[in-house]
Amino acid sequence: MDVYLLLIAQGLAIGLLTGILYVLIALGLTLIYGILHIVNFAHGEIYMLGAMGVFYGYVVLKLPIWATLVAILVLALLLGLVVERAFFRSLRGQWLQLVVASVGISLIIQSLAWVAFGIQEKNVPSFFTGVVAFGGVRLPTERLVAAAVGVVLVVLLYLLVYRTKVGLAMRAIEEDEETARMLGIDADRVAALACALGFALAALAGAFVAPIYSLNPGMGLEVILMSFLIIIVGGLGSITGTVLAGLLIGVLQSVGGVLLGAEAAYGLVFVVMIVVLIVRPAGLLGKA
Amino acid sequence: MKRGLLGLVIAALALLPSFGEPYVLHVAIVVLIHVVYAQALYVIMRMGYLSFGHAGYIALGGYTSALLATKLGVSPWIGFLAGGAVASLFAWALGTVTLKLRGIYFSLSVFAFAEVVNAVFRAFEAFGGPAGIAAVPRPVLFGTRLQTHAQFYYVVLAVALVALFFLYRLQWTRFGFTLLALRTRETEALAESIGINAARHKTLAFVVSCCFCGLMGAVHVPYLRFVSPFVFTFFLSTDLMVYVMVGGLGSYWGPMLGTVLLTGLGEQLFAAGYYKSLVYAVVLLVVILALPGGLISLPRIFRRGATRERVVPADATAARER
Repeated sequence: MDVYLLLIAQGLAIGLLTGILYVLIALGLTLIYGILHIVNFAHGEIYMLGAMGVFYGYVVLKLPIWATLVAILVLALLLGLVVERAFFRSLRGQWLQLVVASVGISLIIQSLAWVAFGIQEKNVPSFFTGVVAFGGVRLPTERLVAAAVGVVLVVLLYLLVYRTKVGLAMRAIEEDEETARMLGIDADRVAALACALGFALAALAGAFVAPIYSLNPGMGLEVILMSFLIIIVGGLGSITGTVLAGLLIGVLQSVGGVLLGAEAAYGLVFVVMIVVLIVRPAGLLGKA
Repeated sequence: MKRGLLGLVIAALALLPSFGEPYVLHVAIVVLIHVVYAQALYVIMRMGYLSFGHAGYIALGGYTSALLATKLGVSPWIGFLAGGAVASLFAWALGTVTLKLRGIYFSLSVFAFAEVVNAVFRAFEAFGGPAGIAAVPRPVLFGTRLQTHAQFYYVVLAVALVALFFLYRLQWTRFGFTLLALRTRETEALAESIGINAARHKTLAFVVSCCFCGLMGAVHVPYLRFVSPFVFTFFLSTDLMVYVMVGGLGSYWGPMLGTVLLTGLGEQLFAAGYYKSLVYAVVLLVVILALPGGLISLPRIFRRGATRERVVPADATAARER
């Protein structure tokens, strides 16, 4: 019995640590949704590129890890700017076309990735080794560090959105784009910034999981699925809701996986989403 | 003129097995199956809703017919109907919950649903597990099992013609026109103000769409003679969406044109593996950005171009954010 409890506690802890990484990805989606009113399907691919970036920078080119991360960050920001400028801007306001375009971008990145990176799974050696024990719960240092950096990034994003002028502009556009434009807010630039930031968060999340999982070009799909469930459960456009839902779903998936098996845990998370949609259609913290 | 052309095409399709190679028939079968999938998806895209999970409903139909035939020995003919029924049932359940909400909730939920369906089929040995179900029998007609391409081709052709005729006629019914009115938020509010229950109409449209996907999925699986969780994936859902968008949302013939061109092309690109996805995606983005009405709007653009009139893509479906 004791072993059982310990297993659940272990699942809970791992779930929270995974949840924070989900939050990073889902927050990018939330940010882009708030401004452009689309869910960006290409997000999972950016996460995959982040992870692959670590493999090619840190393992193949043998760059120091900080240089690899900086390079990934810069490239992701640039990619966000380019995608917004090339595709999203000219389709502003056309909901259907925008979402479909993001699917197209996702397909392009993924098929190019299969060609460029091959089907061979890639592994990245740990940045940090060792295990930290809390009572009987043992957590790899690596996951703890990734989660800690994740928390810092989430806090930074909070500060950006709620304590800066740019953040104010973002919230204004989300509230009422027309009025915001009339008040002199350059909505296109804010949208570009939101895309760049969202892409950067996803790429960094990918970079943090690189040593934890085996990498392949299809790895974005599972993560994008979880992120979609998170933003629905949290309430579309709500940052706090996204954070809560991310942690909740990370825990559900991890504990559910321990108790029921990985595939059934998917089903469990999906059932939770349906229940939330029935009971609180706008999500945990969304506006109706 | 149009009617004559249609008759000619149907006659040509009916005569195809008498002069077509097996490979040609195979391509024809694949194209017909996908035309029905795309045309079914068009029912909901026409009302401004996107689905990233129609493959889930196709899989439900396919697995239903495969399981009934292999585990219970039920005739595949009944399996076809059961496939459509099971897909409809699940579509009704999800539609009731999500179609009251903004379109994006629906799109994401359907995507999640399809992934979960796949995970469940993968997880349980009763559903065949990761290996899937092998040796799915073909149906028997007048004592012969329809083993050859030519025999099975007629089954697919018959189901496809019935489905396509039904979906075509559906557009010109009161129900079909109502769906068109639900395309944007404003017109939806207008429709509700005169007493139309929008959520119920949308749910029914989704059920019709998934019913034909399930039915065709139930036909598709006996053609392949097997099914596994890797047959009907997310990429099928996106392919279908690409067909509809590339062909054009403005007319019933748009999705069909897109499907015929792209699946025909896809068969040629099959050996190229991942390049197929790449080609599809590039075509998709080019069409979305440069030709908002899809390929079907080309003739009209040429006609307008002759009179130097500016083309307003009326059927670019300005389905605004919902």
